[in-house]
Amino acid sequence: MVSTLSTPRTTMTLNRVRALLLVTAGALGLGMLGGTAQLGPLTLESVLEVLVGWSFVACGTFIWARRPANRLGPLMTTVGMLWLLGRTLTLVPNPVVYTAGLWLTDLWAPAFALFLLSFPTGRLTSRADRAIVGIFLFVTVPLEFLWFVFLVLDNGLNALGIAPNESAAHVIDTLQRDLISLGSVLLVVSLSRRWLRSSGPVRRQMAPVLVGAVAILLQSVSWIFFSSGASHEALDDLIFVAQIAVPIAVLSVMIRGRMARGAVADLVLELGRTPTPARLRDALANALGDPTLQVVYWAPARDRWVDAAGEPMEMPDVGTGQAVTMLERSGVREAAIIHDAILLEEPGLVASVAAAMRLAVENDRLTAEVEAQLHEVRASRARIVEAGDRERRRVERDLHDGAQQRLVSLSLELQVARRALGDDGDPAVRRSLDRAAEEALAALAELRDLALGIYPLILTESGLGEAVESLADRTSVDVSVDIGSERYSPVVEGAAYFVISEALTNVTKYARATKALVRVRGLDDHLSIEVDDDGIGGADPRSGSGLRGLADRLAALDGTITIVSPIGGGTRISAQIPVNQPMPTPV
Amino acid sequence: MSTILIIDDDARFRTQARDLLEADGFVVIGQAVDGATGLEAAQSLRPDFVLLDIGLPDVEGFEVARVLALHRPPPLVVLTSSRDARAYGRRLTSGEHLGFIPKERISGAAIRALVDQG
Repeated sequence: MVSTLSTPRTTMTLNRVRALLLVTAGALGLGMLGGTAQLGPLTLESVLEVLVGWSFVACGTFIWARRPANRLGPLMTTVGMLWLLGRTLTLVPNPVVYTAGLWLTDLWAPAFALFLLSFPTGRLTSRADRAIVGIFLFVTVPLEFLWFVFLVLDNGLNALGIAPNESAAHVIDTLQRDLISLGSVLLVVSLSRRWLRSSGPVRRQMAPVLVGAVAILLQSVSWIFFSSGASHEALDDLIFVAQIAVPIAVLSVMIRGRMARGAVADLVLELGRTPTPARLRDALANALGDPTLQVVYWAPARDRWVDAAGEPMEMPDVGTGQAVTMLERSGVREAAIIHDAILLEEPGLVASVAAAMRLAVENDRLTAEVEAQLHEVRASRARIVEAGDRERRRVERDLHDGAQQRLVSLSLELQVARRALGDDGDPAVRRSLDRAAEEALAALAELRDLALGIYPLILTESGLGEAVESLADRTSVDVSVDIGSERYSPVVEGAAYFVISEALTNVTKYARATKALVRVRGLDDHLSIEVDDDGIGGADPRSGSGLRGLADRLAALDGTITIVSPIGGGTRISAQIPVNQPMPTPV
Repeated sequence: MSTILIIDDDARFRTQARDLLEADGFVVIGQAVDGATGLEAAQSLRPDFVLLDIGLPDVEGFEVARVLALHRPPPLVVLTSSRDARAYGRRLTSGEHLGFIPKERISGAAIRALVDQG
């Protein structure tokens, strides 16, 4: 709670500070222009001079506001403020103020060096860079103090001129110029090395520093070729222009970063289309502007990283200029992006790209999970139908092996008894035996009808074609059958058989038809069944007929059934049954 | 006097069929409990008729009938079952056998009726 409350307050306070700094910078710049105007006509140089300060303060505060965590913003603002403040103070004819102004103007140099060397994080990373900033500080703090001690100013405004000694001041001044030149050369070397070492995206990011390096080089040329006090207007103008350009270049890099985040939006869209691994990599490389980017996946079974093709991948070592951004789900690593280390300086960008990819990976995982569940539900429904059919077959077999056999035996035994009795016995006993034999035969016939309705053996033994032919043979209306002899899985044959059986039952019971046509076609991936009759039509599948149960049976197999039955126009029942049913998983 | 071999794994049925057929003038010259012994018996006894159950424990009656048709001379094969004809469809109407009689209808008259139908 504390942090959530304090963050907006801190932001508000900082906003006020930044606004104050902007206003101050504006005032100082106007003061400089005003002061210069009093001394003579305004020159291009004096305008450029103000613009350098404004450029740094304006861009610096903007970046500071946008990237509060990055030191670069405050650092740039400081560089600009030192520039403006120092130069404004030298317009005041007071020894202390004037001296402070001169000193602050020179303190600008180490701040500028620090800014260039620490770009884009605002932090120095190497000892060499710290040493270079150290040189600038040594020149502008202790040596500067000594220089002031000996310095003789024509306007007499040196507040520190305790021991005026022109030659000593000159020696120190020369030493300062030599050291600054050395520092500048080292700085340019350091920046050049970084530029040469880095790849595409880094080089693009380093554009502002290169402009800065040019400015420093020009400044060094100016120091080396023109002695104290002297200056070359055109060169100074050029230096100013370069210095104005530096903050603007920094800003443009930041805006490009924002554009890169626009590319992240494209990336999210691209990933939404469930890309192939190759397209995923390309999309990420594009969004991050790093053509060397690689995507690797964690293979838990192999306990190592692999690429999309499953080839083992090594993670880059520290210091190779590559970095790794991990994609984890609930603390379990799933994938990683190997990219240029410079992208770590755009943490927001990499994070949003990683988030987009995590979404894609999560999406894929959920899709796979749902598909697996769907598959499981389908398989389980098919298993239920299959189990039902299996049970029907078992009951049919039990009836055959049990009651049916006994009735056959009883029937035969009665006939044997009747023969044994011959024509001589008691006529009442003869009649009774004849009636008993007839009863046994009738019971047997009923039992067989029942068994056939439960599950016809012929369907198992001889397949759908013969079972349907047999069905048609015992239907009271004239049924033509158009069916092949192909076999399908028991669950498909069972469903098809019961559809036709139920349809023919309806034909005989309700349709008042004279003939019917059964057509079964094995198409690519499904069985197509049509049963037509020339009856009265008007069949309603919802009116409690057996068709309703059939629809459920077919739905369990992802099949469909449609009934077209206009009044007076016959009835057509069509069903489609997918032939590739999910493999029943053994329990 | 026609000779007949009964092939069925159900002893009670064999007895009943023998009683009925002998009462109708057939000579039951042998009985077998499965397809293999049935074929051996047919080979050695050379019956005029074979009453053959479809649901034998070792092999389907249809299969036994196919082999019996190769015997010289081939016996007249009558298929039987405690199921009725609807359970077998076209398999009963094709093939080399003489015909099909459900078990409860077995009699000398029924077999002669098949012969007459031819």
